[in-house]
Amino acid sequence: MSSKFLTIALPKGKLLIDSAELLTKAGLDCMFVLEDSRKLTFDLPGKEVKIIICRPTDIPTYVEYGAADIGFVGKDTLIEQNQDVAELVDLKFGYCRFVVAMPEDSQPPRLDNGEYDLSVLNHKRAATKFPRVAQLFFSERGMQVTPIKLHGNIEIAPQVGLAEMIVDIVSTGKTLKQNKLVEIAPILEATTRMIANRVSYRIKYEDIQGLAEKLRVLV
Amino acid sequence: MERSSMGLKLPEGMKDLMPTELALLEELEGKALKTCHNWSFQRVKTSGLEYRACVEPDANQDDYLYKFFDKNGHIIVLRPEFTTPIARMVATRLKGSQLPLRLCYSGDVYRNGSTRFSEFRQVGVELIGVGSDLPDAEVIALSVEIMKALEVRNFQISLGHNGIFSGLADEMNIDAKLRKELEDGIARKDMVKLEGLVSQSDLPEAAKEFLLSMPHLTGKEEVLDKLQNWNHIQAIRRAVESLRTIYQFLKDYGVQDYVSLDLGILRGFSYYTGAIFEGYLPGVGIPVVEGGRYDKLYEDFGYNSPATGFAINLSILLEQFSEYEVENPEVLVYGQSPGAVVKRCRELRKSGKRVEMALGFLTDTDAKKIASIRGIPIVEKVEV
Repeated sequence: MSSKFLTIALPKGKLLIDSAELLTKAGLDCMFVLEDSRKLTFDLPGKEVKIIICRPTDIPTYVEYGAADIGFVGKDTLIEQNQDVAELVDLKFGYCRFVVAMPEDSQPPRLDNGEYDLSVLNHKRAATKFPRVAQLFFSERGMQVTPIKLHGNIEIAPQVGLAEMIVDIVSTGKTLKQNKLVEIAPILEATTRMIANRVSYRIKYEDIQGLAEKLRVLV
Repeated sequence: MERSSMGLKLPEGMKDLMPTELALLEELEGKALKTCHNWSFQRVKTSGLEYRACVEPDANQDDYLYKFFDKNGHIIVLRPEFTTPIARMVATRLKGSQLPLRLCYSGDVYRNGSTRFSEFRQVGVELIGVGSDLPDAEVIALSVEIMKALEVRNFQISLGHNGIFSGLADEMNIDAKLRKELEDGIARKDMVKLEGLVSQSDLPEAAKEFLLSMPHLTGKEEVLDKLQNWNHIQAIRRAVESLRTIYQFLKDYGVQDYVSLDLGILRGFSYYTGAIFEGYLPGVGIPVVEGGRYDKLYEDFGYNSPATGFAINLSILLEQFSEYEVENPEVLVYGQSPGAVVKRCRELRKSGKRVEMALGFLTDTDAKKIASIRGIPIVEKVEV
């Protein structure tokens, strides 16, 4: 591929609309990528820019290997994938929080300061799509909790005895409520980030930094 | 014993090289080493295994090493790089040598869990015994000349200096924890983290602005003018002067077009102390050249000496070239009598030909067929 081309990886799914709108505001009109959901690569007319649509969890990989110069991806995915990319701008949309949640009827006791006493969770299991985030959270607190990696519907894990708790992202808290789960500890907050390949960021510094500046002003 | 399915696999990150790939790798290696020799760097080889204590004294940072125990229970590792083992070698074996020492190397290094390759070929140099700035310019210019000799197109070198950040951090008395975090943020170009750390810190406004601007101070010499306000910090002033001088020398070497300044290059928690540089290629997601000055490393080995150097990742460069042709044999020799065939082969080889000998008797048709498959131009039948 021509080295002048800038390849931008956008996440398939709910973040795609916000991402396309933001890029359009920054002067890269790409609303048309929303029209054809089967097409995955688009050349921007009149611009040396290519847009590729990827699974959100794959975006750090595309960017780390330099297959895409830039990507938009949630901080949650960045932490979980732990790949070596430059993180340029907090785009502020796609807000979510990582939490530990347990069934309403098996909440741990409270400590004097009102927080839950997490120590009773030692030697228990946590169902999650984000085993690294879960592992980091518990091991930093000296706790021994086994993360169990699932790919979806993790809310049912406590109901069937697969795990005592879940570690998941919540945006409104509705899903937790529907499944009779309560949040017992916050882990971290995440929003969408603009990331760049470390070498592309040096070689195509002006194009990438120019875009980063525009986005920073817009968000 | 029959192999289980495990016996057919390679450990993660390892790969075999086929004749065409290896021929290309060796061609690249040969060109690189030839350039080093022209610049009077002499090749050394350190051992494949080292004690962990040599390579990585900090046991909390050794995840990337392949570790084993020797028969006395000491931890030994596969070498992850050459710079530290060469420092050990120089401090123990070449202590009395006339300085400067110019050493070069080429060999495989091993890094557990690394993204692309866990085993890759590095070629590099160490220039030991002289402080900045001329030796820094020499190794940078040499790295450019090697890349040119390898016929790599569109590469570029970015040059920075560790003293700028450390000068600021010392002057501002930034505590060790924040310093490490800031260093990590700048080194990994994690702007979001950097912004968060800076805005929450109680540093003066000017220092905050400076830290945030560091990753964006890139370009030619004029970038250094932007640091004028920080001239009162001795370490920064020295770093800037040093970069100016090195850049001037790079012009004398005629390689300035390949080199830009990039004050955002920083390698956290490493042995680099002065000018540092990285080489990039479009489409290759990681630096292909990494180098810089490390004036404290030799001290760790009880031999106080400044040094600078670089390493080129040849394995990643290999992927940039199309398949290489191995040299085919020039003659295929066959015939009824093995003794006569062997004799003829010996004669031809003695005369300098690359000769393939048929094993067993071939018909004329078979011989021609084999020769055409293997690209052997001449077929010779030995009549008894």
